[in-house]
Formats: sequence, C-alpha cells, structure tokens
Amino acid sequence: MSFVGLILKNLLRQGTRSVLTLLGISLGITTVVALGCVTAGMRSTAGSLATSGGADFMVAQEGASDLSFSRLPEGTVAEVAAVPGVRSAHGVVLHITQFGGNPYFFIMGRGREDITDNPLTLRAGRLPRSPEEGVFGTDAGVRVGQVVTIDRQRLRVVGIYEAASQWERAGAVVLLEVAQAMQRSPDTVTIVYVRVGPGADVEAVARRVDREVSGVVSIASAADYSKVDQGFAMLDAANLAISFLAVVIGGIGVMNTMVMSIFERTREIGVLRAVGWRRSRVLRMIVSESVFLCLGAGVLGAAMGAGIASLATRLPSVGGFLAPDYPARVFVQGFVVAIVVGLLGALYPAIRASRLTPMEALRHE
Amino acid sequence: MSESGAIVTARGVVKTFEQGRVRAVDGVDLEVRSGEFVAIVGPSGCGKSTLLNLLGALDEPDDGTLLVGGHDLRSHRDLDHVRAIDVGLVFQLDNLLPTLSALENVEVPMVGVVRSARTRRERALELLGEVGMADRAGSRPPALSGGERQRVAIARALANEPSLLLADEPTGRLDSRTGARVLDLLDRIRSERGMTLVVVSHDPRVAARADRVVSMLDGRIVPT
Repeated sequence: MSFVGLILKNLLRQGTRSVLTLLGISLGITTVVALGCVTAGMRSTAGSLATSGGADFMVAQEGASDLSFSRLPEGTVAEVAAVPGVRSAHGVVLHITQFGGNPYFFIMGRGREDITDNPLTLRAGRLPRSPEEGVFGTDAGVRVGQVVTIDRQRLRVVGIYEAASQWERAGAVVLLEVAQAMQRSPDTVTIVYVRVGPGADVEAVARRVDREVSGVVSIASAADYSKVDQGFAMLDAANLAISFLAVVIGGIGVMNTMVMSIFERTREIGVLRAVGWRRSRVLRMIVSESVFLCLGAGVLGAAMGAGIASLATRLPSVGGFLAPDYPARVFVQGFVVAIVVGLLGALYPAIRASRLTPMEALRHE
Repeated sequence: MSESGAIVTARGVVKTFEQGRVRAVDGVDLEVRSGEFVAIVGPSGCGKSTLLNLLGALDEPDDGTLLVGGHDLRSHRDLDHVRAIDVGLVFQLDNLLPTLSALENVEVPMVGVVRSARTRRERALELLGEVGMADRAGSRPPALSGGERQRVAIARALANEPSLLLADEPTGRLDSRTGARVLDLLDRIRSERGMTLVVVSHDPRVAARADRVVSMLDGRIVPT
C-alpha cells in the first residue's frame, strides 16, 4: 500500500459524498473554462480582424467605445498613407447587420483598388465590380447567382471566398460605397488597414501613425483592443470574479466535506499517530485527499467547460462571428482554481486533525 | 537501553487530568528489563492504561523521569519516532483501519519508515504469516473475527521491529478460548524475538504467564 493508495481509498470510502463534492466544484471550474474558451475565441477573432487581408495593423478612431462605433473621415486614409514607413493604406467600412439567422453578420466595404490589390481567395465566381454585387464567405449560406437583400440593398452573389476567421467566413465583402450607404455614413470609413514597407518595424510605424495623424489609434493585435474596446476588459473582470467565486464556494464545499470526513475518522487518525505517523504526514494526507478531489473536479470541469464552449459557439446567434479557442492557459487557470480550492478547503480540517494528540484522537467515540 | 539492562525506567512519574485534580498516575517507579514479560494489573481506573500510554509515548508525563529504550520521553523532541520505531502497541479494540485490508493495515506503520513499497509488502506478508493470518491478508477488518483482528493488530505492532511491545487489555473483548490463543501468540512472539512485553490486563491468565506482575491502585504501584 502506498501513501497515494491510502488517499484514494479514503476518498472512495464515502463515494457518494466525494462524487457530489466533485460535481459541485467542477461546476465552478466549468464556468471558468467555458468563459475562458469563449473569451479566447473572441480575442482570436479580434486579432484576425486587426490583420485581415494581410494588413500589418489597422487604425481606428481614438476614444471610440467600441470598434464598430469608430468613424474616420475618408481623408484620414491619405494622411495615414503619407506617414513614412507605410507602404499602403486602405479605408474599410465594417458594418454589422442581421442576415439570415445571423444577428452579427459582418459586411466589409472595401475600395475597388483595395479589392484589386489584395484579392480574396475565391472558391467560386469572381470579385464584385459594381455596387449591386457582393462576394460572400463560405459559411454565409448563399450560392453564386443568388440575389439577396441586406439593409434594403439588393446584392447579387458573384463569388464565394475562403477566409481563416469565422466572422469573415460567415460575412460578405461589398464595394466601399455600398457599405457606407448601408451605414448611412458617406465619406467615412470605420478603420484603415495599413501595410508597412519592406523591412519596416510594424510597431514603430504604428507608433508613428499614432503620433502624426490626429484622432487615430493603431491596433496591431488583440492586446491593443483595449484602446478602442472595453469589452475584453469587462470579460476578463467577469472571468476573474467567477474564478474568485468558484474558489470561495468550492472551498466551502470542500471544507464541509473534509471536516465531516475528518470528524468521522478522528479515531483512525489517532491510530495513525499511535503507530508513529507524524503530524506533517497526517496533514499531507488530508490536504492530498482534498487536492485529489479537486483535481478530479478540474478534469471534469475542463472537459465540461470545453464542451459547453463548443456547444455555445454552434448556436446560430454566436457561431456566425465566433469560433471557440482552447488555449492551454485557460485550462491551466481551471486547474489552478481547482488546486487553490483543494488547498483552502483542506487547510482548516487538516490543521485541526494534525493538532490532535494520539490520545485525544483515540478517545474519540 | 540503560546500563542496568532496563528497557523501561520510570522514576516518580506523574500524570494528571482535569487541571491536576485527578492524579491518574501518582509517582510511579518502575523498571522493566529487556526481554521481560510484565503484567500490570489492578482494578478499573487504577491508572494502569494511563501508565501504558505513557510508556508507549502516546501521552507525556507531567512530572518524574521516564526512559523508554534509552529515550527520555519528557524531553524527547520526536515522540512520533519513538512510537514508530521503538514501541509496538496493541489496543483492547484492535483499532484497525476498516477500509484497508489486513495486509495494508500491517503496512501502515511502515509508510514513511520503509521506503520501498515492495519491502513493506513483503515484510507485512511475513508478519501476517507469523501470526497465522497470511491466508486472510486480503480481507478487510469487518470480514474478520475478533481474534483474527487482534492477530492482525499484533502483526501491525511488530511492523517496524520494536524492542518493546505494549498491549492494553489485548484479550478484553475476546472469548476465553480466543483470548488464550492471542495470549499464546504474544508470549511466543516475545520469546522468539527476544522482545520485552508489557501487558495491562484484568485477565488472571496474563498474570499467570508473566515473569513479573505489577499491581496498581489509585495511580500507584502497590506490593502484590
């Protein structure tokens, strides 16, 4: 019999209680992991937006509370293009509207020159040549030749394109003036996509654009989104709060289980002490039982969290713009929560049990 | 062990309870030589079990000097080590862990003392063989009879090869026939291993077999 074997036997002796505790803790970890996967998916989507079509970074309106609210005069495109180090700059309109079953249908309005210079990867058809034409992503649910109406604009589907990001695959590209009309904002663009010259440092050029063009901010990665979008900060705060709640609620649940378990086994702890087990070994045994229980909850919670994130993004209202991401750090966070719950939950009962003298414990009825 | 060959030396040992109002052991002087079989007898509440607990390092004396296996138990910093290595304890209630098999129960004292799990297992099997329980090694305590459980408890007490075996009413909960067998076993192990055996008991057969009988009354040793 090993020390670990004894720990597992102690957990299994009250199987129902252990399983119920495990389930309770795993619910908290499920929430942490599911939210983490969805947030990571959103970050990934945002990251792909910043460098869509091979751009090195994008420029948005400084101080916009959300990227979709960014409005830049079309003249800004020329100002950005004039900054040293910039090879090309193209203004783009991002318009979100409802289409089919997707409430977040992304329409990207691009200039003719931009579409020609940076062509999409077409699976079928051709690129749009007139305002009545559009190309759609592979997941948009349309076919070449079909005529659709979006925001009172009739569009003929002339091509189907492939894209790496979910929001592009489920969206459409039209000419710039069409998207401006849909948005009722003529002569403005939402963002400017920037490509830097050969050998130029992307970050240095982005900083220069921020300095030399007034009222804009450069976004090169998902990490820069906080400059124009507080959504990620709110999601991070929510995730932290849920992790904290999971630790507190899970910790109390584990503590309850362990206190009951230790109380029932007081005499046995006395026996262990009587045959020479040190306080530290008793303490380690109880803490290990709790941590094992919580690691089991961590495995279950991680699996359920990933499953729920996957299911959630299959909903039509979510799947159109978001694909789940499963970064290792989210699962590490789930397991850290599990271990902290295990340690906190075991602390009081373990200290209490280890402080018992052998005689106190053996006299326990 | 002291120069006199005593494995236990008690001088004026006192143990009180309830803030000193109850003197369970009241100035006991006792010497037990190595290899000796000593029976401690006396009426209930006379302090014999308390004295045994002190000898087994389960409790600490309030006053006096108590040497066990050369360790001064009043000043010793590691009584866990004394309990693990120097002393083997057999209780009236077998106190086996109910979720573990007989074999695993015997292995428990060796966890942290014997590093190799394989050695622990081999030694536990050997000890169960010595007490006639090898064929029940995989059984859990609830499936064993009282006598069988007590034999497993004896094997457990021998796990780390202590030089002093202490037994508190080891036949107290057993019928006379089973009790006699357990007593035979303890006596045989003592003589085969050359151990010292101290047994607290009401059972006159224990006193009859012992090399020496120590009688207690009101916390003190009285002439037999």
